[in-house]
Amino acid sequence: MRLYWRVLVINGAVLTAATLALVVAPVSVSRHPVVSEAAVLGFGLFLMVVTNALLLRSSLAPLDRVVREMASVDPQRPGRRLKPPDSGPGRDLVLGFNAMVDRLEEERSMSNAKQLAAQEAERHRIARELHDDIGQQLTVVLLGLKQAEQRAPAELADELAALRESTRDGLDDVRRVARQLRPGVLDDLGLASALASLTHDFAEHSSASVRRVVAPGLPPLSSDTELVVYRVAQEALTNAARHAGASAVELSLTKVGDRVVLEVADDGRGFDVRRDGAGLRGMRERARLAAGDLTVTSSPVGTTVRLEVPA
Amino acid sequence: MRAATSPAPARILLADDHALVRRGVRLILDQEPDLTVVAEASDGAEAVDRVRDTEIDLVILDIAMPRMTGLQAAREIGRRTARGEPPKVLMLSMHDNEQYFFESLKAGACGYVLKSVADEDLVSACRAALRGEAFVYPGAMGALVRDYLDRMRRGERVPETVLTEREDQVLKLIAEGSSSREIARALTISIKTVERHRANILAKLGMRDRTQLTRYAIRAGLIEP
Repeated sequence: MRLYWRVLVINGAVLTAATLALVVAPVSVSRHPVVSEAAVLGFGLFLMVVTNALLLRSSLAPLDRVVREMASVDPQRPGRRLKPPDSGPGRDLVLGFNAMVDRLEEERSMSNAKQLAAQEAERHRIARELHDDIGQQLTVVLLGLKQAEQRAPAELADELAALRESTRDGLDDVRRVARQLRPGVLDDLGLASALASLTHDFAEHSSASVRRVVAPGLPPLSSDTELVVYRVAQEALTNAARHAGASAVELSLTKVGDRVVLEVADDGRGFDVRRDGAGLRGMRERARLAAGDLTVTSSPVGTTVRLEVPA
Repeated sequence: MRAATSPAPARILLADDHALVRRGVRLILDQEPDLTVVAEASDGAEAVDRVRDTEIDLVILDIAMPRMTGLQAAREIGRRTARGEPPKVLMLSMHDNEQYFFESLKAGACGYVLKSVADEDLVSACRAALRGEAFVYPGAMGALVRDYLDRMRRGERVPETVLTEREDQVLKLIAEGSSSREIARALTISIKTVERHRANILAKLGMRDRTQLTRYAIRAGLIEP
């Protein structure tokens, strides 16, 4: 029943009861009321107010409770919803509130995904410019210095050799930064090579051993989807090495039906998957970019990150 | 010197989309009596055309080129056998990543030179390629050697090898990621000697040329077949 009608009915019922009481009860009010009559009237009025108050309170209390609960929903930790009461005015309010939180979280996650996509595009552009323009220019300088060194008088040779080493360092830096921005191997050689390179780097910088299984004959993925798979694998490996203290990690890329499945399983100490950390949230948002499903299961003996994407 | 055994200098085709890089590389190669650049190309497709209409012994391909990448061109060039042996192929690249190296081997190249060490390595890589040997770039050398040592530690069957004491020292330093320069300094020997040890080690491990290397890398799971 709508809140308006509920209040109206309660007030109406109390007033009706009072009117009936006036009609039925053997009381009358003289032209100049006496004290006893005023006392009876006053008592009747008091009874009406108390009855009304009790009825309204029991009817509105669920609303107050819902309002208090609303404050406990934290946008930083999405996924929490209020439990709607079985009936009463609180139910509609909770249902409406939950639907709004759904829309908000959806919107937020969409805009995060868009932001991620824009960020990747920008990184791609910068990495390409570093490689194609600055890298080439520095290569020209490097080769030119080598030439100059061979023809220069002896007293300049050391100076030129030092300059050449600086140029080489610069070239190495440009390459390193470009690689951090965007794994060129993914664009040039594809996902399987990029994952091979990722596990190779991982093995080099971590004490954990890593096994990689890439099933043959995987269906081709769009370059955006490949990037999502790559970034999720990267994040999962980082977590395994940095937080889980894993000693063995297995990364696999297989086909299930018409979907491609990435699984990264470690034997680390695990974590509480309900506590949505930034890494986990990032993976979820990336999965959404590729219309994929991300599931993370974790126990004290290991964590498995599984990403399913449509081919 | 190599030139003494083959009087005519090796004919080289140079393909890179950046004209100034081509000029720099050309100046370095033309200085060597046994090497001469006879043609240039600014993309992969043009390189394939030049191979078709010019007598060439060695092709140097930049990996990242418009129209047709260096890797695609390498595959295409390896296929052109109508006029006998296809020329040897060497990749020149910005990418310090062993996957590019292995992919280059699979595409038919016998070596991979990083642009940031082209001033030091390119000439010896050209000579190795012309001899039919693989030029393994240092980053991949580390991966290969580490994998080899891992297998030995696990007691897996590895090719029976007798490395000299010096080669053993060099092998360990390579596995630790040292560059030729650092190894030379650590063992107080010349860089040329280090390079010779490297070549000997590879030969003894059965990874002398690109075919052996590719086979090993696939078996070791360093790349997909």
